[in-house]
Order: sequence, then C-alpha cells, then structure tokens
Amino acid sequence: MKFTFMCKEPPSIVPGRGRYKIAIVGGGPAGLSAAGYLACRGYEVHVYDKQPLPGGLMLFAIPEERIPPENILEGIEELRDKFNVEFITKTKVFGDSKPREDEGDKLVERIVSLKDLVDKYDAVLITTGTWRSRRLHCPGEEGPGVMSALEFLYELRIYNKGYIPHKPHIGNRVVVIGGGLSAVDAAMEALNQGAKEVIMAYRRTIKQAPAGVYEIRKLINRGVKWMELVSPTRIIRENNRVKGIELQKMKLGEPDESGRPRPIPIPGSEFILDADTIIEAIGEIATPPFENEYLGVKADRRGRIQVDERFRTGNPKIWAAGDVVTGPSLIGSAVKQGLYAAKSIHLELTSKKLV
Amino acid sequence: MASQSDPITFLRYIDLDRCMGCGTCESVCDFIHDGKPFIKIYETSIGVKIPLSCMHCSKAPCIEVCPTGAMRRDESGAVYVDPMKCIGCMACLYACPFGVPELDPDLRVSTKCDLCMDLRRQGLEPACYAMCPARAIIYGEPRKVSDEIRHRRAEQLVRARLEGMITLG
Repeated sequence: MKFTFMCKEPPSIVPGRGRYKIAIVGGGPAGLSAAGYLACRGYEVHVYDKQPLPGGLMLFAIPEERIPPENILEGIEELRDKFNVEFITKTKVFGDSKPREDEGDKLVERIVSLKDLVDKYDAVLITTGTWRSRRLHCPGEEGPGVMSALEFLYELRIYNKGYIPHKPHIGNRVVVIGGGLSAVDAAMEALNQGAKEVIMAYRRTIKQAPAGVYEIRKLINRGVKWMELVSPTRIIRENNRVKGIELQKMKLGEPDESGRPRPIPIPGSEFILDADTIIEAIGEIATPPFENEYLGVKADRRGRIQVDERFRTGNPKIWAAGDVVTGPSLIGSAVKQGLYAAKSIHLELTSKKLV
Repeated sequence: MASQSDPITFLRYIDLDRCMGCGTCESVCDFIHDGKPFIKIYETSIGVKIPLSCMHCSKAPCIEVCPTGAMRRDESGAVYVDPMKCIGCMACLYACPFGVPELDPDLRVSTKCDLCMDLRRQGLEPACYAMCPARAIIYGEPRKVSDEIRHRRAEQLVRARLEGMITLG
C-alpha cells in the first residue's frame, strides 16, 4: 500500500520555519493513511504502535492469503525511509492511569502517557482500532481451549514471525462461534493448522451472516462444517479440558435494531457438540487509549471515541479516526476516516498559522 | 489527444479472486475527488462485494457516440471527459455496457474515472491501484498486466493440483 500515493517526494522545508509535529497513535490502515497524507504535506509525523511493526490487523490478524504482508511492509518502509515518518513500536499509549489490558498486548515493552503526547505534539490522532473481543460470558468459558478469533489469529501471526516460541494450541475438533469475517478467517486458519474438523456455529442463517454467503460456501468447499440457528449456552469441561459445547437451537423472529431478523431461542432444544477447542468470533470492541473519558475526549459504552464531522474530539489537540470511532469495520472505512481526519488536522494547523 | 487507433499503454484489471471488497479503492478515490468516487463497491446477491469502475475500453463505445467529442482518450489510453466540451446529454451512459459515466448534477457534465490523470501527470500511479491492500488491482502496460494475471492463475493451478500431494505426502 502506497500510503503516500498523493506525492512523489516530501515537500522541501523552508529553513527557519518550524515544522508542526503530529503524533499518530496506532499504525493500522487509518493511522498509516493519515501518516501518508501528513508526510506529503511536510509534517513531522511520529506513529506509535504497540506491535513490533506497524500495520495493525492487516499484518497481525488478517490471513496472509488475503493481504500479502510485503504489500503493507513496502508502504511502511517508504513512509519511514523516504518520508522520514518515525515509528515508535512496542509502545502502548494510554491515559496516565494503569493501562487497560487489551488483546495483542503481548509484545508491548513501553507505556507512554497520552497526556505526554498531547503536551509534546501540535496534534494527536488516535487510531487505535478494536483490540478487544466480545466474549460469550457463558459457563465454562474461562480456562484453556477457549479463545477469541483475534487472539488466535494474532498469536498465530506473531508465532509465524518468530516473536513467540509456541503456536496457539489448536485441537482436533474446533468450533468457531460467529458468522463474520473474523469467524471465517479463524475457521480457515484452524483448517490450515491441521484441525481435523472445523465447525462454524452461527445464531442466524447463512443469509444474514456478515461474512456473506460466498465466503462461507468457499469454506464449506474446503471442508468446514456450517451449522446455523444455534447459540452457545455453556462450554463443557472435564478435568478443566474442553470436552464440548452446549448449543441451543434458534428461530428467526422480527427484525431487530440491526435490521436483521432477531434470533429467538427455542426452549428445551439444547444439544451437545463434541469439541476440544472453542474460538469465539462474535465481534470486536473499540480500544481507545483511555477509559471512558480523558482530557476531554469521550468514548461511548462500546469504547468508540466521539468525534464531530471533522474527526475532532472534545480536546482541541486530539483527533480520532478509524475503527476506534466506528467500531469494527472494513479497511476501506478506516482508510477513508484516516485520510479525512489528516486533512482536518492539516486545515486546522494551517489556519492557525495565518492568525 | 490520442485517437481510438493509437496503442493503449496502460490497463487496469481487477482480480476478483484477490479482492476482499474492503473498499479502500473507493475510499481513496472519494478522498481525492472530494467525496465523489469513480470506483465504487457493489454488494451482489451472494454477498460478494466488488468494485466497479470504468474499464477504459480499447474500443470505447462512449467515445464513438459522444456528439461533441468531449469523451476522449489520453496519451496513455485512459478514457476521460473534457468538461468544456461535454453537454451532459449522457449518450455515453447509454452506450456504456457497465453503466459507468455519471452525470455531475452541479457541473452538468458527464464524469467518470480518468485513471487519476492528475496523479499520473506527476509521475504517480492511480490511487486505487497504489493503495489496494490485497493487490487485487493490477495496472500497467497491457502485456505485463496479462502476464501478471496468468502468473497468479498458474499459482492457483499448481496449488489446486499439487498442494494436496505435498501436504498429504
């Protein structure tokens, strides 16, 4: 990805005129697109990321067969080598309290306070994405053999890159809960990792699955079993090991607030499916670099940072964009938000210059 | 201005096997055209999202039917609209098999993808191609584009035929 697709070279700097410094917190698609725009405008851009490499979920979760890693890495290298964008990696930015533990924190070595960044830079753009998974909160969930799709995909990637010595353990019979793209990716990787049987269990039907009929059919062709109109009620363990999962049958009711028919549990329809690994892929939640509210920046109940139409937060020096604003979305949406937020920062800083 | 018979130097091809429907192409196009993207994602009935934009046809019917000569081809082969000549009759839209030309209601002219003419003039690449995360958009000299497509298909064929043998054997 050529994040600097709008310019060939960084603009030459007029001596004596100080350059504005901008911090971007989170080097995923939104952060890197913003970095590209701002670097083309001649700003000094520093990107903070908790992983050893920027790229976000594009490098650390989405399977390589969808996104060739070198395509992302080349774009990052160009930002770094040609446009002097500085990457501060393995660094988690958080408000000045004890940082919340999110997923993908395994390789973090340093914590930097968000307040320090606000003091040090002319503008801060928060693009920290969605590094927390929704959990089922059902009995038997705690313990080995149950993980989120993000946790599984992330650990597989950092193992493959040599950052951790052990592969995430995947058993012989894997049940993936969910019908979105994370569920599809987790099921595909579980199959690639040699699981004998991979079952996808979804509470609505294939028609409503967010991943789309085609992606799911493709998986079915590769050997994944599709099970619809079922919802987990508990995970069964024996000597702490996962032995199975109890599912309840569902039927479709009237449309809910999402516009899709609401799944309604059928009482007494519970049945048990043998399994040794459960992957929960029921959605991710935004992970802002603070809890609830900090320095005038507010997050809603689902962690999403509140911004105006120009991506400004309640703090005049802080902007936010991407999945941390919208909740889980697609790369394109993050890219778009990152670009427009960067432009908003540019307009703000240039208007400041005129006063 | 190039004529219809001049050689085409650039071709854009969208590899639907690689496309994830993530919408990055539409986003960057939207951004550089102030909210009016010329490549757009459409979700089909089987849940597959694909981008649609001008194919920059080698024998472009839109150029043939344009009554004022506003629909033209540039020196690289990209089909574009000269807004000074366009009268907004949309004959080009009638002629287009893909429904690509679009009326700009403010400017009252036909608008469409010009393969990022402004960027190309600065020696840059079309934005959708430059930013696609999946490398689903292939762009360049037609022969190289065809080669790249066939190279990818060769990979798929080999995987389909031989991968099972290697992993099982």
